[in-house]
Amino acid sequence: MWLALRRARCKRRAAGTPLAACWSHALPRGGAICAEVPFLVCDGEMSSLDPATGALLSLGWVTIEEGAIQLGSARHYLISGAQAVGQSATIHHIHDRELAQGLPAAEVMTAFLQEAAGKVLVFHHAVLDIAFLNRCCEQLYGAPLLLPTLDTLRLEQRQRERRGQACAPGALTLASCRERYGLPAHAAHNALLDAIATGELLLAQIAHRGKHTDVRLRDLR
Amino acid sequence: MVDADNTPAVPQPPVELTPVADFLATTLPFDTLASSELARLLPTLAISYHTRGECFTAGSEPCGLRILRSGAVDLRDAENTLLDRLGEGESFHIDGLNAERGQVQARVIEDALIYFLPDTAYQALRQAHRNIDRHFSSQRNRRLRRAARYQPAANALLQSIRDTMSTNLLTVRSSDTLQAVAEAMTQRRVSSALVLRGTQLEGIITDRDLRARALTAALPADTAIANIMTTNPEAIEADCSLFDATLLMTRRGYHHLPVTEAGELCGMLTTSDLILARQNDPVYLVQHISRQDSPEGIKTLLEGMPGLVVQWSQSGMHAHQVSRVLTAISDAVTVRLIQLAETELGPAPAAWCWVGFGSQARAEQLFGADQDNGMILSDEARDADAGWFSSLAQRVCDGLQLCGYPYCRGGVMATTDSWRQPLQRWQDTVRNWTATPSPAAVMRVSIFFDLRAIYGDERLCAQLQRVMLQEASRNSIFLAALAANALESRPPLGMFRRFVVERNGEHRDAVDLKKRGVLPITEIVRLHALANGIAAVNTEERLQALTREKKLTMGDGRNLADALHCVQQQRLQHQCQQILAGEPPDNFLKPHGLPTLAREQLRDAFTLIDESQAAVRQTYRAGMN
Repeated sequence: MWLALRRARCKRRAAGTPLAACWSHALPRGGAICAEVPFLVCDGEMSSLDPATGALLSLGWVTIEEGAIQLGSARHYLISGAQAVGQSATIHHIHDRELAQGLPAAEVMTAFLQEAAGKVLVFHHAVLDIAFLNRCCEQLYGAPLLLPTLDTLRLEQRQRERRGQACAPGALTLASCRERYGLPAHAAHNALLDAIATGELLLAQIAHRGKHTDVRLRDLR
Repeated sequence: MVDADNTPAVPQPPVELTPVADFLATTLPFDTLASSELARLLPTLAISYHTRGECFTAGSEPCGLRILRSGAVDLRDAENTLLDRLGEGESFHIDGLNAERGQVQARVIEDALIYFLPDTAYQALRQAHRNIDRHFSSQRNRRLRRAARYQPAANALLQSIRDTMSTNLLTVRSSDTLQAVAEAMTQRRVSSALVLRGTQLEGIITDRDLRARALTAALPADTAIANIMTTNPEAIEADCSLFDATLLMTRRGYHHLPVTEAGELCGMLTTSDLILARQNDPVYLVQHISRQDSPEGIKTLLEGMPGLVVQWSQSGMHAHQVSRVLTAISDAVTVRLIQLAETELGPAPAAWCWVGFGSQARAEQLFGADQDNGMILSDEARDADAGWFSSLAQRVCDGLQLCGYPYCRGGVMATTDSWRQPLQRWQDTVRNWTATPSPAAVMRVSIFFDLRAIYGDERLCAQLQRVMLQEASRNSIFLAALAANALESRPPLGMFRRFVVERNGEHRDAVDLKKRGVLPITEIVRLHALANGIAAVNTEERLQALTREKKLTMGDGRNLADALHCVQQQRLQHQCQQILAGEPPDNFLKPHGLPTLAREQLRDAFTLIDESQAAVRQTYRAGMN
């Protein structure tokens, strides 16, 4: 509802762009069974934690369809044209010379929006990625992303609050959350591998909510 | 990727899924794939998560191979019997299993992350790679069987006689004349003839017999050969190895050995057929032992043994063959020590028999076997003779200790009075043990029931064994007690998937292959053998007899034999590695360091032991706990 309203307000500005094409697909209903909902699990890497000064350096994603991560849909894009990475390379392991082989943000976003159509986006700690993606979309299409989004970090946090468990600092990192579900340790630090790791976490979270035919999309809100 | 919006396709950079590929490369059978082929497989995979209790059955959608990235899964048949327990890196194809074994169900017993390979990709993979197809086409038992049967380039002496024996046989009748037989032998250019009655081997006649018994005695040429032939000659089965044959021939001084197959004559082996190749051959070692004049001499001779065993093992000698050779050597050492003691002490005052127990009796010794032995004296031995027997026992046991066979910690030795008794008292002891099977008695019996005459009057040993079998096979309470003993040592299958390793002492994180692998199998097989009155002592021979008499199915028998081979093989390789590293050989294997295939084979073997123990529980302890 809320998404539809906000989209309506931006529709004119975004008309004819890949973003508008993406919006034209029906949104998954809240009553849909999770196992039948298509998800797009994403992760981005940025040159800084502040969307005002930082830039999106890479974007990785993979889809979840019929309750399983489809490795064939895995994509990993480096984005060229951003300002020099500088010292933050120590954080995200991407170097300037690698970025030079990347694609322009417009092409990466086109591919991303094509895949996102009709799907629910999934991030671990969505706020940050969404902020960068929104800024990207504003620059390219004059409107924010406005796609349905799930956050595995928030999901975990609410789940723990509901059970009355405290969240110690560090308890909600991707690695700690995965450990709680017995998922294998993952040391990777690139956008795609983090996206796959996030996808596995989401599947575990859904599986632990109840029988797979019972858990509905709205239960994850 | 839906491209419904007619926007231009965006170029797609290559995707790296290294961690997934790295994981698959450590699993069977994907470890055999080239990395480029593995990379091609990755996009077809799907990843799913399943909580404890979830089940996969025939027709579970979608159809394909499920590889466990983490977690554990139980495979059970329609009767809910556990077929296999899978852990990280292992895979199952539920529809394939159902086609092979009927209603199989896979149940998640620990939350599992599964890599799913769709059936089309799976089938294509099997078509493209023979070894992968072979891996999947076989279930556990067959995999184990191959492992047990596989032999790299075998040592010449280990080939079966069948490949070497001569089948150009000259057969004659006992009524034939010396003249006729000599002519026939000359014409056929053979040095011996076999005398048949019907199809039965009645005797053998050789060049030497014609020379020594006919010409020297100036017998007329028309004498029937019945007068000079050796009657009822010893024969050997065609499946025995050249080593067995050589040993038999050198021991008895035969130059010609008829070969039979299931009792029927099928060939002949002569000394010239045998390749007594290198000094390293075990046959030579056995011969040298019998020529030593002192225990010290034997000790010196045996010092090179560990190195030799490593060499035999590396040249492809299999564990069960190595253990046969090691047993032949310890037999030879024992016999020589007894002979030396007899030279010192003078001849025995009465008939007696030296018997070996346990692994020596079963011919299943590997390194580190301690001595388990005893003496059966004739009932005619007088009290005054006791000194001779105890002195002999002392000399032989001390000699064995000197030669590297440590004293038995449990005192199962001829030097212990209760293990050196007249036949009658032995028989009484057996009756007592079986009548009131206390745990201690059962423990002793489990060693005692595997016995073999090593030296002296074999009839004493046979008589004792007959009483043992009689007492045991008709006493279900005793069998139940024996079964409890066989069930005591569980194979290390674990709570799930991991080896249960020894929990304390210096061997933490290690699995005791002897205690948890070899002993459970020998105990189960011994139990079946005793219950069915089977006199064989070697585990494999017991299994053959059990299947021949339909007490075990062919499959069960072979599976147990394969499991034993597999565990013994790992044990031998482990000990060889220790010897090469300059460490004293032991039975404690650390499973973590094992290659994937070896680990899977061991786990298969342990799974089989577990199942066999379940069967024992059913058969011999129904209604008990």
